[in-house]
Amino acid sequence: MISNTKEVKARDFEISRSAEEKRELLYKDDICIGCGICEKTCPVDAIELGSIGAIVRTDADVPKIVCDDDKCVLCGMCSVVCPVDALEFKIDDEDIKNMEEYPSLISSAEINDETCVYCKACETACPREAITIARNLPERSKLVTGEIEIDKETCIDCGICEEMCPADAITMEHKLPTSDDPTVSSDIIVDKDKCVYCLICKKSCPVDAIKAACRSCSYGEYDLNPEDAETTGASFIDQETCVNCGWCQEICPVDAATVVKPFEGELSVDQEKCQACGACVDICPCNVLSFPASSASGMRPEKVMSDENYCIYCGACENVCPVKAIEVKRTDIKHTPTKSKSWDKKMESLKT
Amino acid sequence: MCDYYTIIFKTCVLILVAIYILYVVKCVFNTHGVHMPKHIVSGLKYLTAVELIREGYSQKEVAEILEMDRSTVSHYLNGRNLSWNSIEIAEKITEFCPKDFLLLTYALMHEKARIIVKTCSNSEFEGIIKESCIGCGLCVDICLMKAIVLNDLKAQIDSDWCCGCLICGESCPTNSIEILEVKK
Repeated sequence: MISNTKEVKARDFEISRSAEEKRELLYKDDICIGCGICEKTCPVDAIELGSIGAIVRTDADVPKIVCDDDKCVLCGMCSVVCPVDALEFKIDDEDIKNMEEYPSLISSAEINDETCVYCKACETACPREAITIARNLPERSKLVTGEIEIDKETCIDCGICEEMCPADAITMEHKLPTSDDPTVSSDIIVDKDKCVYCLICKKSCPVDAIKAACRSCSYGEYDLNPEDAETTGASFIDQETCVNCGWCQEICPVDAATVVKPFEGELSVDQEKCQACGACVDICPCNVLSFPASSASGMRPEKVMSDENYCIYCGACENVCPVKAIEVKRTDIKHTPTKSKSWDKKMESLKT
Repeated sequence: MCDYYTIIFKTCVLILVAIYILYVVKCVFNTHGVHMPKHIVSGLKYLTAVELIREGYSQKEVAEILEMDRSTVSHYLNGRNLSWNSIEIAEKITEFCPKDFLLLTYALMHEKARIIVKTCSNSEFEGIIKESCIGCGLCVDICLMKAIVLNDLKAQIDSDWCCGCLICGESCPTNSIEILEVKK
């Protein structure tokens, strides 16, 4: 008799069946956002969503979904509808998302390195910490030119310039005076790669031992190469953790980020019903919901705020709200076509 | 002295009788116990060979299909090397309901049961797949006749191989399989 095998690793699981072909369903709990779309889609009711509110708010070590391997027929529907790819489905080691006959949700997030100025706003804003910006700053010494010289004969080794220098470019070799060499410093060195020719040292020197001039100030930037001032780098989006929420696109000052969301819809919060418990704020994978800063300590937060620009209409907040104050409507599902009527119907049934 | 020889003689006779009884018991046991499935398999192969020849296959082709020696096929067709009782039992088996015929034959011959059941089946079947099929492939894996494939996320039943056992329909999670008997 054909039966499934199930392997559980911590909070993840793998269900497989090997006969004519090898079918595998792999679940990764740290990617799962607990939206419950898979539970609603499963044609054999094998998937059960856990008590998501409790799991998220207590950081409990239990999986967000449980799949009954006796019921699961390994059709792959849950994998296709998962908006964050927490469920992977493979047939003979090939992901069905790469197979033409299976439909798949259309979603993507990209950062154009040509346009990107590496400001890191997206990296900071990304609610899933999926973005890494690696940037190479320009060399400071190439952005300013000038001359500096310390007359060691006149210098009294007071160390004022060393303390004043904002760029830490001046170093004195401090020492105790001896009868052999009755000075408090053996040398004073200016690091010309660090010096920005601000002339603070020159102005603060009590004995006028420093001669310095900023060439850029006096003669303009004729000997500077504008290319040397550019910050270069690379952006990286971890597609596994990215949920295509659109934060990067919204926050980018130069429109370098492009996000395509799989669902379109409406999110509405009934402020009358909302008890400001915060469960939705904790569950939302996209930081759509937040409380306004509280007016005074000890005060209950105001009603919850939402910004649909970042919403992926996954419905996790609606499921978790204890007073049914949130309604998530999905009006459009973007997916690749399929010839199967039942699959097409399932994809369309995600609309609410 | 005489008594002594008599005792030895009687002991020898007793031992010989005991050996003979054991031999007879063993033969009887073998014929009707351990070797019985083999006889039924021979009967089924005989029926298949006869049917295939009737369908126009040559003895050589029949031998290849049934993975047997050509000489054995020839013996079968000439009515040798086979007890008529085995053929009678095999005939009865082919008259079972398709599921029992298939399961019993599969238990006897595993993969080779497919050609036997296909050839000796008394009816033809047509599988209709409803649009509710989700393409889970459970039927593909479960079909002992290997009569089902998936095409565009929908099962497809090959009428040539379907034996009407209905095992696929029993396992289908969406009740999408309908098997109809076609008059032969």
